[in-house]
Amino acid sequence: MPIVELQNIRKVYDTKVAVEGLTLTIEPGTMFGLLGPNGSGKTSSIRMMIGMTVPDSGSVRLFDKPFARNLLHRVGYLPEERGLYKKMKVLDQLIFLGQLHGLEEATARRRSLAWCERMEITEAIEKKTEELSKGMQQKIQFIAALLHEPDLIIMDEPFSGLDPVNAELLMDTLVALRGEGKAILFSTHRMDQVEKLCDSIALISRGRLLLSGSMREIKSKYPRNRLQVVFTGDDTFLRHAGIVEFKNYSGIAEIQLHSESEAQTILAEAIANGTHINRFEVMEPTLEEIFIENVRASFGDAEAGGRVDA
Amino acid sequence: MHNIWLIAKREYTERIRTKGFIIATVLIPTLMGGGIFAATALATHSKTASHIAIVTTQPQPATDLKHELESGKDTTMTVDIVPPAPGINATLDRQMENKQLDGYLVIHQGPSSSQQATYDFTPRSSADIATSSAVKEGLHDVVAREYLAQRGASASDIDAFMHPVEMNIVGKGGKKGDSRASFLVAYILFFLMYMVVLMYGMNVARSIIEEKTSRIFEVLLATIKPSELLAGKIIGVGAVGLTQVGVWMIAAAALAARAGAMSGVTISFTQTIFFIVYFVLGYALYSSVAAALGAMTNSEQELQQLNMFLMMPLFFCMLMLGPLISNSNSTLSRIVSQIPFCAPLLMNFRISLSMPQPWEIALSIALILVTIFAVLWVSSRIYRVGILMYGKKPNLPEILRWLKYS
Repeated sequence: MPIVELQNIRKVYDTKVAVEGLTLTIEPGTMFGLLGPNGSGKTSSIRMMIGMTVPDSGSVRLFDKPFARNLLHRVGYLPEERGLYKKMKVLDQLIFLGQLHGLEEATARRRSLAWCERMEITEAIEKKTEELSKGMQQKIQFIAALLHEPDLIIMDEPFSGLDPVNAELLMDTLVALRGEGKAILFSTHRMDQVEKLCDSIALISRGRLLLSGSMREIKSKYPRNRLQVVFTGDDTFLRHAGIVEFKNYSGIAEIQLHSESEAQTILAEAIANGTHINRFEVMEPTLEEIFIENVRASFGDAEAGGRVDA
Repeated sequence: MHNIWLIAKREYTERIRTKGFIIATVLIPTLMGGGIFAATALATHSKTASHIAIVTTQPQPATDLKHELESGKDTTMTVDIVPPAPGINATLDRQMENKQLDGYLVIHQGPSSSQQATYDFTPRSSADIATSSAVKEGLHDVVAREYLAQRGASASDIDAFMHPVEMNIVGKGGKKGDSRASFLVAYILFFLMYMVVLMYGMNVARSIIEEKTSRIFEVLLATIKPSELLAGKIIGVGAVGLTQVGVWMIAAAALAARAGAMSGVTISFTQTIFFIVYFVLGYALYSSVAAALGAMTNSEQELQQLNMFLMMPLFFCMLMLGPLISNSNSTLSRIVSQIPFCAPLLMNFRISLSMPQPWEIALSIALILVTIFAVLWVSSRIYRVGILMYGKKPNLPEILRWLKYS
């Protein structure tokens, strides 16, 4: 039973096409990464997913049912633009937001306290939101999205602005929630996080879907033609015919090959030349490279430079 | 409904707790009460107590005038009678400069008793109308008495003749009223409503902008509909306004119980009921407009530029007060008090002055209700799109297009 099913959705604002023919499916117990450059239609897609705006055409299904507002009680949403009532006390705020998601006041209170403890912000409970640091506010918002134990958790840029320790805490929490069978959708620009966390991704640019599928599937479509060599001594092997291009950062060479099979001959040539090899690794392309390549292509190379923000 | 209730409750409890609310709620009745007490206290002590001199050759009518001015109904002046002498005017002028004297009256007796005497009054300050008019009234009284006495009227006849006429203003129910007091009540209710409707209408707009700048909207809209958010907000903020007016009215009632007898101001039960009805309607109308304004703008500054849309109809109502007072049942009065944006203020004003026909009241309420629904329909559409728009200020064609979005 898919948690989210978008079928060919389209949204146009005046003359600007925000989303065009987007189709994607999110299964339970998966971490789904929604990727795309700024202004590519990520937030518009998410807004249609939770009924904040209605698609001009196409269908949205949540929990295997056509979209209905009462299903939103099973969705937790952390928007990109963080917002809390500045003058309200943290606990009151969490209880209020919990109640809006259909919780009883007592349940909301109990869960808020438990979550604050888990997120290590118990000392903030009695304070007003405006007295807290940005990171703390973000944790509170994170808690607010999770209080009603949603089956679908949607997080727009959840880690931006957090220090590594807190980002780790949030990541661990999300991984634990996935373990409980929740579906998690998050959008981010940080490809390293996506690579570490996500089971599946969808890459959109200019409102269109460029790729989607499981991380394995996508990566397997790209050849393992990346080579990283850490070496000392002679560097003549870098002029081997099988190399498309290389960058040599004084002893650490990043190489792109015509094909994976060239790697072994290059290694052999380097050793024959007497180069001292410290590390030799054949790599699959990083998600970041896939991202940049696809987005560039979608814009057309000429204008890619300024507009892509990976 | 549950969501509307939650939003309204939060809006209400958070606002009631603010220092601004507590200060305004306590301070305004205190100031008003203090003002009324001070005004009544001043009114009772406002008898003119100037010091003047009368320059005359004859003891009559100067002594009568002196008596009248020193122990009359409205005056407690000090009066010196001085015989005319060369240079007396200069002496008196000097005394006035030294502030020993507030003015002097010179009586030029005519050559024969049949001719009218002329009276020249020189006040220290020409702005001192109270003294001049007290002297004039006193003179009129004294001269009339003298004339009657010459014609052989007895002292008791003169008293009876000069006795001031007292007229009571009697309402329809036969109750004694005071037209000045009912004007005062109408004014107080008008400005109270004006102030509160404007203040709380702007509060709705401000609270929308606040949520927009703090970006909490996105979280709220992920669970509830914009229309629920709008309704909850209008109800919550309106309830705060009603609470405040309620507190003020209770304070006013308590004050009236103590000082009312003195000032003669009473607010009847009917007036209170109509005030509340029209206040709720007026507030709902203006706050729906304000909600649209709030949703269109991104900051308080931008809101300031648009708040003339709220001010203009209210200002128009104030302009219409004149015609309404001069004839509250004229065609003009009847028409302007039916305009939905004016009706809450003007119909209520007419009710305070003299009860209009029941159908007029019913029609005005119906018209306001229809307008509220129309405005809410437009506002909720503008609101729904506008709250998700940040940055650029929309222009009119864009706003019109918003109405078409689903």
